[in-house]
Amino acid sequence: MNYYSEAFREAFNLIITLDRELLNVVATSLRLSTSSTIIASTIAVPMAVIIARKDFSAKKFFNVILNTLLSLPTVVVGIFVYSLISRRGILGEYQLLFSSTGIIMGQTILILPLITALVRNTIFSLDEKLYKTAKSLGATKKQQFKLLIMEARYGIIGAVIAGFGRVLGEIGISMMLGGNIRGVTRTMTTAMALETNKGRFSFALALGIILLILSFTINFLVYFLQEGEHYEQR
Amino acid sequence: MNRGNKILKVENIDKNINNKQILQIRKYSVIKGKFNFIIGANGSGKTSLLNILSMIDNDYQGTIYYKGKIISKKERNCELRRRFSVIWQEPYLYRGNVYHNIALPLKLRGFNKKIIHKKVKNISQKIEIDDLLEQSVYTLSGGERQKVSIARALVTEPEILFVDEATTNLDEESINFFNSHFADLVTEEMTVVMVSHDRRQIKELADRIAYLKKGKILSSQAREEFDFSQLGAGICSSIEEIV
Repeated sequence: MNYYSEAFREAFNLIITLDRELLNVVATSLRLSTSSTIIASTIAVPMAVIIARKDFSAKKFFNVILNTLLSLPTVVVGIFVYSLISRRGILGEYQLLFSSTGIIMGQTILILPLITALVRNTIFSLDEKLYKTAKSLGATKKQQFKLLIMEARYGIIGAVIAGFGRVLGEIGISMMLGGNIRGVTRTMTTAMALETNKGRFSFALALGIILLILSFTINFLVYFLQEGEHYEQR
Repeated sequence: MNRGNKILKVENIDKNINNKQILQIRKYSVIKGKFNFIIGANGSGKTSLLNILSMIDNDYQGTIYYKGKIISKKERNCELRRRFSVIWQEPYLYRGNVYHNIALPLKLRGFNKKIIHKKVKNISQKIEIDDLLEQSVYTLSGGERQKVSIARALVTEPEILFVDEATTNLDEESINFFNSHFADLVTEEMTVVMVSHDRRQIKELADRIAYLKKGKILSSQAREEFDFSQLGAGICSSIEEIV
């Protein structure tokens, strides 16, 4: 028991004293997660609008695939991207394995279906009159798209934050594609696994506490944006 | 173009939804500078016709003329639609405050902030909603929402104003406000196409009346010539009240 209370004390101490190594790992995690979230969102939002608004023959099939991909295990994405970027893969010549780019690729694939599905649901839930009204107000196609995004903005931001939360806490992709290289691909989750194995429990615990705080903040933000008080009036 | 000319005309309009014919109109004209009423029972195709005339719906077969010129599908774009405005039965107001909503069509047309401010102030005073400008649209009553949508439609000074049963869901006070102020808000140059069941509106405003039944126009005449006896129960059946 004394061991654990000592570990907790040391973990808090690492956080309060802003331990350099600890901050480095947190910064790497945030950098990679932010990059993959930005890339995935840039692709997911227009894709969600198309799925929600356009009629095409493969729409039902597309929606089924999208819903299936929501529960995609991170290691499956890891293996898939590994087969692409490993030395014998079709992208092997670019030497992406055990690099930040490799992790970003994997994480982008992981959250692309999640953000797309959440944004699609937000757009589905919008009042159909919005589109007719936009047209009657004299909006061009581009302005209609902008109005749609503005109306769905809280749902979209919520979806992006949810995606960010998912990549921040994943370990499979970072471990398989990143290789846990200090200062480059060592994320909070891979560092926690490594440091626990090494017996440096307090360091892993400190990262766990930070991850927990970040997760809580993210979930609070999503709740506030999508279901918070006076949401309708914002 | 003189008042009394046909500003909009449709010919041989066929509109189907799920293989069911919604509209079959051989000929219908909207007369410039007049209140053109479209009446008919629920499901007769009034709103579908209004959507086609306002060029919001392009999914139909037939020809539409604007000021005597055939308008192709490609030409039914936002540039042309910007000359029109629509007041819907159930208005959709965009997230934000009342000012944002009234200013929106002007912003879309690229007006500068100073002009937008002046126009919004002006129209909101006329419609008596200038005290609501900063209020969130989610706090408005049904009547206030419709007033905002009227202001939003009129702020661009449209050539043709389409009104789709604007008072159907309103309370008595809001209907009275609409009926007593609406004619004053419409300028001499404006053409109005109005779908309505309201007897008082037909009595006081209509210049021309088109009667739509099961997607077909049975008659389209000046109000004085219109035979109200052809209308079934429920659609302005009391002729004495109207004429």
